[in-house]
Amino acid sequence: MKTICVEPLTRVEGHGRVELGVQGGVLRRVRVALFEAPRLFEGLVLGRSFAEVPALICRICAICSGVHRIAAASALEQALGVGIPPLASKVRELLLLGGHIESHALHLFLLILPDLRGSASILPLLADGDRCAHAGLELKRLGNRLQELAGGRAIHPVNVEIGGVVARPPAAGLEALLLELEDWQTRLAELLAPFATADLYPPATPALGLRLSVVGGENFGLQGDSLLLGDGRQVPASSYAGLLAEQSLAYSNAKSPGGGPFLTGALARLDNHARCQGRPLPASGSGIHANNAAQAEELHWALGRCRVLVEELLAASAQEPLMNVPVTRAGVGTTVIEAPRGLLVHHYQLDGRGRVAAADIVTPTAINQAAMEAQLLADLQGCDEADLSQRAQRIVRAYDPCISCAVHVLRLK
Amino acid sequence: MTRMRIAYQRFTSCSGCQLTLLNCERELPQWAQILEVVDFAMASSAGDDGGPLDLALAEGSISTPEQLRELMHLRRRARLLVAVGACALTGGVNSLAGSGPDLERLSEGVYGQPAVAREIFPAQPIGRFVAVDLELPGCPPEGRDYLALFGALRHGGEPWQPGYPVCMECRLRENLCLLIEARQPCLGPVTRAGCAARCPSFGVICEGCRGWVAEANRGEQFRLLLELGLSEEEIRRRMERFAGSGHENDLR
Repeated sequence: MKTICVEPLTRVEGHGRVELGVQGGVLRRVRVALFEAPRLFEGLVLGRSFAEVPALICRICAICSGVHRIAAASALEQALGVGIPPLASKVRELLLLGGHIESHALHLFLLILPDLRGSASILPLLADGDRCAHAGLELKRLGNRLQELAGGRAIHPVNVEIGGVVARPPAAGLEALLLELEDWQTRLAELLAPFATADLYPPATPALGLRLSVVGGENFGLQGDSLLLGDGRQVPASSYAGLLAEQSLAYSNAKSPGGGPFLTGALARLDNHARCQGRPLPASGSGIHANNAAQAEELHWALGRCRVLVEELLAASAQEPLMNVPVTRAGVGTTVIEAPRGLLVHHYQLDGRGRVAAADIVTPTAINQAAMEAQLLADLQGCDEADLSQRAQRIVRAYDPCISCAVHVLRLK
Repeated sequence: MTRMRIAYQRFTSCSGCQLTLLNCERELPQWAQILEVVDFAMASSAGDDGGPLDLALAEGSISTPEQLRELMHLRRRARLLVAVGACALTGGVNSLAGSGPDLERLSEGVYGQPAVAREIFPAQPIGRFVAVDLELPGCPPEGRDYLALFGALRHGGEPWQPGYPVCMECRLRENLCLLIEARQPCLGPVTRAGCAARCPSFGVICEGCRGWVAEANRGEQFRLLLELGLSEEEIRRRMERFAGSGHENDLR
């Protein structure tokens, strides 16, 4: 067996490599190696006070720093038995959406658009005056401004602490955004059209993986307390470990049907939501590359939801509280939330002094790793060796992997 | 004018420093004119031609032998090496995972047996191994830090960095003093300025992410935080989280 290494993976976040095992001219085996140097976040929070965790945990990853911080705060609040005031909930949701918009715009315009245009990066496109590239950057900037307004800072947002948020987004900033949000909704369709154009993607087989997403109610959203699967099952958040372990075990022994990998992310979210509504999505000819189109579709939704939130925040009274004071006690908490690239789980156990006794963080890129390998194996059959590297990179990119986040490999229990 | 040949490499880190550069959305088109990106894997798939560099940016701590090799190679190729962010400058959050037996135990807890076999050592700042020409501090740094860097280098100079603490910038913005007036554990007095007192201006205490200001009066800061009722352990943890214990400063 000859092993072809596709390395480094470029235009993705983090360090990774794809190993392709070719025998007799046929691709027989694929391994995706995510080799970030370990930083041991689940270890370094042990023994620390709950109050220290948000500021540390957001450093897992820059792009997802907001959603990590919110997920950690929410899980710890559960463990402490403290709720957050409604206004704080809205500020956090605005931060979450800002991160969602920025991340999707980064992915689509900096990481994917160059492939659609045949360029190595966005820089030559900018130099050529590509309107899509320029406008895409403005959309990305909007996402960052939302995060700065709601979180104080786009990367490692300081406004989220246990019990709520520290400060209110300044009204002047919110008012300015409102006008822009309205304007964007008219420009969006044209800007995002390239990502739904099937001929711009390489040939692909159907996107593999049992769709896995968070469900919170009838409306589409990123937060909730249960997990929804593509086969219709719903599982409470607290049972995440059993679900992921079961499925992983089944997959690794998978000669048997039903033991497939999971797929999480924009495509999974939209597929699951459509199924819930009784109108299953038609299979797209673009396979996993349809995840890019799905991200584009989510941008429409996210901007609309931001408008509603900004209006609510502007209407809120000056007297409304931002923070509840937590009382130290032992407890357990689990939060499931949709990061831009899929399901994120934060789970903590606190001792009687409010110190972290156990921590578990499961990230979407770790969950998608098995699906990535299966998809590469399926899509690259019959591909010329000369094209293998580029085609493999495009498939990996479609998942929008965030490799720094992959804090631990999925453990089989 | 010829473009500056630059590379941006990342070691043990969260990508926040690289992302901060990509968050300068309005400046990226201009930078495309003055910078020749030789290697920046997150943003570009253009292969590295292996040639000399005018400027190398490095994010993250060094915690594996491969990273150390890459760092040495980068230093040899580059006329100027800039260490970006707390992880590169002091080890940052990476250093909180401890060292020696602690590190092995944590590794095993998080990764299980296979990972312990991997050679990892306690995360080190870049300056432990190579001469660093310039520093961009912060966790993350500010977009303006990159503007100042590229602008100054483009004109044959080096970026000016303030020798005063965040408090100066807070005063210039006429902020309420969170430490003295609101009695919160703000680290402004001992933290290098350059962020325009971003967090206190938003209403949140400075967490010290830009590291120690020159001649930081750490003793007095410690005393002030004790007065607020924090324990010694908590004060030390807060002060050292991004800035490190301060011993690194002696190595330069």
